[in-house]
Amino acid sequence: MDPYSAEGELINLHSHFHQGQYQEAADYDASALSPENALAARVLQLRARVALGRAEEVLAEVRGAAEPELQAVGALAELALGRADAAAATAEALAKAHGAANATVQVLAGTVLQAVGRSEEALALLAQHQGSLDAVALIVQIHLQQNRNDLAVKEVAAARRWAQDSLLVNLAEAWVGLRLGGEKYQQAFYVFEELAQAPATSSVRTLVSQAVAELHLGRTEEAQAALEQALKKEPENADAIANMLVLSVITGKSPEEWTSALQKADPEHPFLKDLAEKSDLFDKAAAKYKAKAAA
Amino acid sequence: MQSSSGILTKFESKSSRAKGIAFHPKRPWILVSLHSSTIQLWDYRMGTLIDRFEEHDGPVRGVDFHKTQPLFVSGGDDYKIKVWSLQTRRCLFTLNGHLDYVRTVFFHHELPWIVSASDDQTVRIWNWQNRSLLCTMTGHNHYAMCAQFHPTQDLVVSASLDQSVRVWDISGLRKKHSAPTSMSFEDQVSRANANQTDMFGNTDAVVKFVLEGHDRGVNWVAFHPTMPLIVSAGDDRLIKLWRMSETKAFEVDTCRGHFQNASGCLFHPHQDLILSVGEDKTIRVWDLNKRTAVHTVKRENDRFWVIAAHPEINLFAAGHDNGVMVFKLERERPASAVYQNTLFYITKDKCVKSYDFQKNVESPTLLSLKKLGSPWVPPRTLSYNPAERSVLVTSPTDGGTYELVNLPRDGSGAIEPAGSKRGQGNSAIFVARNRFVVLNTSTQTVDIKDLMNNTTRSFKPPVGTSDIYFGGTGNLLILTPTAVHLYDIQQKKTTAELAVTGVKYVVWSNDGLYAALLSKHNVTIVTKTLEQVSTLHETIRIKSATWDDAGVLLYSTLNHVKYSLLNGDNGIVRTLDQTVYLVRVKGRNVYCLDRAAKPRILQIDPTEYRFKLALVKRNYEEMLHIIQNSSLVGQSIIAYLQKKGYPEIALQFVQDPATRFELAIECGNLEVAVEVAKQLDRPKLWTRLSTEALAHGNHSIVEMCYQKLKHFDKLSFLYLTTGDNTKLSRMAKIAEHRGDFTSRFQNALYLNDVEDRIQMFKEIDLYPLAYMTAKAHGLEEECQSILEATGLTEEQLNLPTFGEPLTPPKPVVPTYKANWPTKTTSQSFFEKALLGQMEGLSLEEEPAAANGPGEAEEEGAVKKDALGEAEEDEDAAGWDMGEDIVPEVEEGFVNVDSTEAGGAGSSEADLWARNSPLAVDHVAGGSFETAMQLLNRQVGAVNFAPLKPRFLEVYQASKTYLPASAGLPSLVNYVRRTVEESDPREVLPIIPRDLEYLAANDLQRGYDAMKANKLEDGLRIFKGILHAVLVNAVGSESEVAEAKKLISSASEYAVAMSIELGRRALGSPDEVSKNPQLLKRSLELSAYFTIPKIEVPHRQLALLNAMNLSFRSKNHSSALSFANRILAHGGASKLLETARRIKSQCERNPHDAVEIEFDQFAEFEICAASHTPIYSGTAYEECAFDGSKYHTKYKGTVCTVCEVCEVGKHGSGLKLFA
Repeated sequence: MDPYSAEGELINLHSHFHQGQYQEAADYDASALSPENALAARVLQLRARVALGRAEEVLAEVRGAAEPELQAVGALAELALGRADAAAATAEALAKAHGAANATVQVLAGTVLQAVGRSEEALALLAQHQGSLDAVALIVQIHLQQNRNDLAVKEVAAARRWAQDSLLVNLAEAWVGLRLGGEKYQQAFYVFEELAQAPATSSVRTLVSQAVAELHLGRTEEAQAALEQALKKEPENADAIANMLVLSVITGKSPEEWTSALQKADPEHPFLKDLAEKSDLFDKAAAKYKAKAAA
Repeated sequence: MQSSSGILTKFESKSSRAKGIAFHPKRPWILVSLHSSTIQLWDYRMGTLIDRFEEHDGPVRGVDFHKTQPLFVSGGDDYKIKVWSLQTRRCLFTLNGHLDYVRTVFFHHELPWIVSASDDQTVRIWNWQNRSLLCTMTGHNHYAMCAQFHPTQDLVVSASLDQSVRVWDISGLRKKHSAPTSMSFEDQVSRANANQTDMFGNTDAVVKFVLEGHDRGVNWVAFHPTMPLIVSAGDDRLIKLWRMSETKAFEVDTCRGHFQNASGCLFHPHQDLILSVGEDKTIRVWDLNKRTAVHTVKRENDRFWVIAAHPEINLFAAGHDNGVMVFKLERERPASAVYQNTLFYITKDKCVKSYDFQKNVESPTLLSLKKLGSPWVPPRTLSYNPAERSVLVTSPTDGGTYELVNLPRDGSGAIEPAGSKRGQGNSAIFVARNRFVVLNTSTQTVDIKDLMNNTTRSFKPPVGTSDIYFGGTGNLLILTPTAVHLYDIQQKKTTAELAVTGVKYVVWSNDGLYAALLSKHNVTIVTKTLEQVSTLHETIRIKSATWDDAGVLLYSTLNHVKYSLLNGDNGIVRTLDQTVYLVRVKGRNVYCLDRAAKPRILQIDPTEYRFKLALVKRNYEEMLHIIQNSSLVGQSIIAYLQKKGYPEIALQFVQDPATRFELAIECGNLEVAVEVAKQLDRPKLWTRLSTEALAHGNHSIVEMCYQKLKHFDKLSFLYLTTGDNTKLSRMAKIAEHRGDFTSRFQNALYLNDVEDRIQMFKEIDLYPLAYMTAKAHGLEEECQSILEATGLTEEQLNLPTFGEPLTPPKPVVPTYKANWPTKTTSQSFFEKALLGQMEGLSLEEEPAAANGPGEAEEEGAVKKDALGEAEEDEDAAGWDMGEDIVPEVEEGFVNVDSTEAGGAGSSEADLWARNSPLAVDHVAGGSFETAMQLLNRQVGAVNFAPLKPRFLEVYQASKTYLPASAGLPSLVNYVRRTVEESDPREVLPIIPRDLEYLAANDLQRGYDAMKANKLEDGLRIFKGILHAVLVNAVGSESEVAEAKKLISSASEYAVAMSIELGRRALGSPDEVSKNPQLLKRSLELSAYFTIPKIEVPHRQLALLNAMNLSFRSKNHSSALSFANRILAHGGASKLLETARRIKSQCERNPHDAVEIEFDQFAEFEICAASHTPIYSGTAYEECAFDGSKYHTKYKGTVCTVCEVCEVGKHGSGLKLFA
């Protein structure tokens, strides 16, 4: 039986992790779990700690471990620490050795490979999964990052057939929905709102997601409220700040406050990188034009 | 309360066998006559026995209330008919005549008659006003068991153990006893004849029909309230339905089912139903049209003897061996659900309708639910899903069923549901857009289902779960008889639990933060995490509740609408004449459904609870507003305020001086207290005031009080303590006047006035004391004179030894001059506001209001002008020329989407550039080069640097970052302005600061800068507007026109402001006036400033500026022309006054001292670069974007207004709408 399914004993830990409640996941009391699930639980908790920015200590913990799952976690931690090449090398080796059968390795190595830009390899690795929703969600995200919305839609529809009501399928469907738009915006919003507004499942990530859906729906006030809620929980959350920035631009306000906040929280955020790039592009493009007579 | 068999018992009494029952037509009362000779009067709503009447001897079988008078009648086995007063609760009189048991008694609906049936085989009609027997109807040849008047016609129906039912015509009796006002001869004759016949047979009451069909005795018979139908119940265990016409009556059908004697029957007053009771211990309900059984209710041990219906409301009562039960056949609460501004509800004929709160209109029938459940069982609940526009309806039939139906998009007429899904369950509610939850109480399971009606998961709820409600996202509220559980669906566990008994309904506040749990007599307010906030108890049943937007709960009981604040403070809002179910509160309107399932609006006065809410929230502005605008008076609010510790606020409401005084004292507001005390002038008040004032240290008030009270001693002491010696000596004088020696002595003592004391002692012949005083103070002369006067010598006196004379202290500080030190009286924020001390919060709203309309008018004028200008510009501008230029990018475009698998796709940002010919969409897509190309082509844009902020602004607004899988960067999504669109070929990006925003914000800020004379800011703002419009998109052709209007307006302002700024840059006024060259230029520029087409009030400013400048430079002719233009436009009186004054002065000498290049009569425009006139007729160049004009020599330069476009380069025209 799938230990993550509704009846499995890892459901809560698994949900916590995917709802972005990393602290809850890391603090989860795993001692009562049956021995066959202990490793899976440990991997989830380690991943949660990586997500919480404690990659260093995770790396120390798994160093020299024999289990391929823990080695994969090590690769993830290295990635988080910015050592992309080392991470990719480990991931590649693991993928070769254990990729065919080990779902955890698939997901973790897939994540690392995608993160270093080797999407095709990541997809090939993940395609070997046997009913792992984590893998499905990852595949959907990779497709979306590649702007292959059509493939993402297919993947979700296929998963929906065998994993009706799972949290991850709902999430993945919402991600796709936000890309597709139209009526799907509202449906995606429902998914995120349901998670974000229930005290048991609410997290900064779900709140930000809800805000993004609202933003796409043109409900700027509600989006702002959700983002403020998120920032109250975690003032340094780069995504929340970035979206807040976008929101303030959309509503015609000056975004300077948020630009500097973002610079402080995450100078490497794609928004900033992209903006700097575009700013240069503008200057270059503008230089091609000039008036016939000097003004 | 709810029994499975489909009736709702509302009241039960325990007594001996009940033989007769009557409902009071108005009050919640029921009369029950018992086999034990007692008649009971119950309040069935409160469940209390009001009175007992015990004058009959033996069983009492019949009772009836009078419809209008406070009377009731009873008949018993003592052969007597008694008429009773409800007021005195006494028997008024007894009608004797029957020779055996009286079975039934009934009042006539309008005439003062009573009809009775008796075992003496007669039916008799009595007049209860003159207490006489009118008519004895004979014909039955066995006990007459029941006789009733027809509700409208002159008919009586009777049932007898002779197995027949008889219908009697009593029109003769009515004729005889209705006294005609005028008596013609014929009348007299006929009347005499009538009497004549009376003596022989009787024509007063003749048998019209004899209905035979029962083959045993008939126990009960009743007319239908409107139709010509009769129903009877007999010992043959049958219920028979009869129809009658003018001429005949016949049996229609028989209802078979009772397996013992049927003892009573009646027609349902409003529905096509028959109810019957029998000795087989059942109540049976039959369908009148089909004669089939609808419900059967069985009691274990009690045989039923009688049944009665309430004439108005849906209530019945049945009497049995051990008492009476009052019941309803069905729930009257209409199933309904509210979503935003729409109410969805199910009508009595089972149609789903909606009601719009804003428009106050009912929709036509959206859907017919006739097929749901059995025909006589109304649906219980309705849950609405806005995402799918579907409803979930539950019905109690067959142990509970639910049905999921999609509402048609546009309902009209009774539409049968298509493709509905149904199943077994007692409660069913939506919990998410694609999930609903079904509770099955018999199996105690909760199923979560998707919209295809497939169970996705299920769980066991806490033991004894009776109902479920939505519990906030992802949660359920599960109701058990003793507690409410908050259940997390995802985690499948109870996250919170609150012990509240008997909760039946849950009502969420509009913001979803609070819920009200309604039980029969309690309202409990909880937070969304199920923490109890407050609870309140009502003695009467609570029916429904709804939340005000401000977080006040309004709830309805059987007869009131009440409110409750979160802290549990509650009160009555209004009374109700019939029970209603609240669904929404908005302002002064309460929307509700009545028992007929019709939406109704009740007017309420929310002042009281709003005020209390404001008080709780300490929202003083709101309170002030309420005090000012509503008549909020009354003891209750004052008592409330006082109790809550706000005497100072209560003070604001009180008119009654005595109360006012009390409150003023309580809150230490001495001024008010003094004012009131003066008004009332009662010693008691002055005493209290003096004490209070003394405590405050306000001695001038204390002084006044003592004066009023004539407390001279106290006054003197007060003066002493405050050191007011002048007043003290006046007190001494007063004492002397009054001849009050004690007081005089005291004052003298305070004043240290020894002489006066001695004088006084002498006056009252107390020479020894006088001597002693003098001696003690060493006044030897005085001593001598006293000795002389008394004729004694020093030796004769036996004196004690003296100490030093004690003198009272001298005042050091003149405290009496001011009240000091005083107790600091805390003036609440509120009082300050009332005194007008708070900034921005005053009662003086009048001046502001007076300004308002004026401003509004001005704005109106501005708008009108703006419109006018727009039209002009449309004519003038040569915008719409040429075909759309399709951007080049499109040519090189290859559709990546079509490739099947592998490789990356193109992002939505790329699509934007593809989908749109607008520069702004290319900018949003990050395709800056193509955007620049487009702008260059459309309006000849060449200098892009000023557009950089706008480019980046648009670009920054285009993407959001969605956190997805952990460890990977967020997913980028593109924000669209086409929110509804999902076709990738049609989607377009969102544009920050669209046209509407610019017009509402930036433009106004620009105007404000102009008004405030902040021209640098203004210039920057208007240029900003130009840049924002240049890179923008609009939604329609008409908006394109608006955009052009905005462009030209911004352009005119930019030119105007730069002219004036240019003038100011010439130098300080002194320098300029010294230099003739500069002076000339300065005057010219000030004149040009008046040329651009800016709003009239702003142009007036420019004109005023020019006029003053010209006047000061003795350019009277120019000043005159400016003054004339000002006067022509009109405006503020002060401005016009100045213009008139200057005009009159200039008219004396209309010459210009300085020659300037400004011809007030010529038509010209201003070159935006050189700020010199371009006279009409001469050649000029313009900016293709903003339309600013230039001398031809500036062709090819960058436009100084927009700073982007090349002057004289004509493009295809700016494109804002594709």
